Amino acid sequence: MASTHLYTYGITDDADVAFETDGVDGATDVYAVEHGSLAAVVSDSETMEPDRSDENLRAHDDVLQELLYRDGGRTVVPMQFGMVFKNARALKGVLRGGRRAFRKALNDVEGRVELGLKILADEGATVDRESIVASVTERLEPVSVSEAENGLFSDRLVLNRSYLVERDDRAAFDEAVDGIIDEYGETFTVQYTGPWAPYSFVDIEIGAQR
Amino acid sequence: MFVVDDLLVRPFVSLINVVHAMAIEELYDVEAIRDDIKENRLLFEVGERSREEYEERRTDLERQLDVAEQARENLQGKVEIKR
Repeated sequence: MASTHLYTYGITDDADVAFETDGVDGATDVYAVEHGSLAAVVSDSETMEPDRSDENLRAHDDVLQELLYRDGGRTVVPMQFGMVFKNARALKGVLRGGRRAFRKALNDVEGRVELGLKILADEGATVDRESIVASVTERLEPVSVSEAENGLFSDRLVLNRSYLVERDDRAAFDEAVDGIIDEYGETFTVQYTGPWAPYSFVDIEIGAQR
Repeated sequence: MFVVDDLLVRPFVSLINVVHAMAIEELYDVEAIRDDIKENRLLFEVGERSREEYEERRTDLERQLDVAEQARENLQGKVEIKR
């Protein structure tokens, strides 16, 4: 029988995590591995390299969503998809080595969520990108803490940004996005997504052996 | 862009090799394929592509990505492309 590894979804400061859900690679239980004041949220995994299928990617994000909102919600520093540790010892080693970075990241995103906005033009359309970006910035800057530029991976993308928003400012942010949809929704496709765990606002390199 | 001077001062790079390298660069452009995968997903999410079209394109692009990554690995150090 294959040995069991630990698939890791994210880091929180709440060790009281244990629930049943549909996790990555068919996992049914999510729980916390604690080290000091940090806790990694994991499920058991038979493989060190889970398949990057849509189903698994969605499961990874669904677990993070549950962590964000379950039991009144908690702050989560999300892991990239595919972080599997050989055993609890290896995982705790990473928590120990990265504790300052994790602690700082948790402080940075506490009480905040990530929201995504993409504006997509029709194929071949002529677009005044600068003016659209300026208008979006003017509307969303006052209701967000921070913004991150994401790649324009399609020629049709006019804008692709993530915003870090205080949970308490969600209604104001939604309203500002409604204004953008009113202004551009007829001519462009506006995709507003989230809330997500703050993937775009934490950047921690883990150099330890998994 | 190629620096033309490079070609003049590096006679061991033949034109055929340069053209070959450019073809490899374009054929196995891993980043471009990844962008296409993301675009395919976005177009599905906003309803411009049906699930069937999306799945079909995704399978095709993932196959291309595997080939490109494998080719890049095999060619590492053998082909130099200056831009």
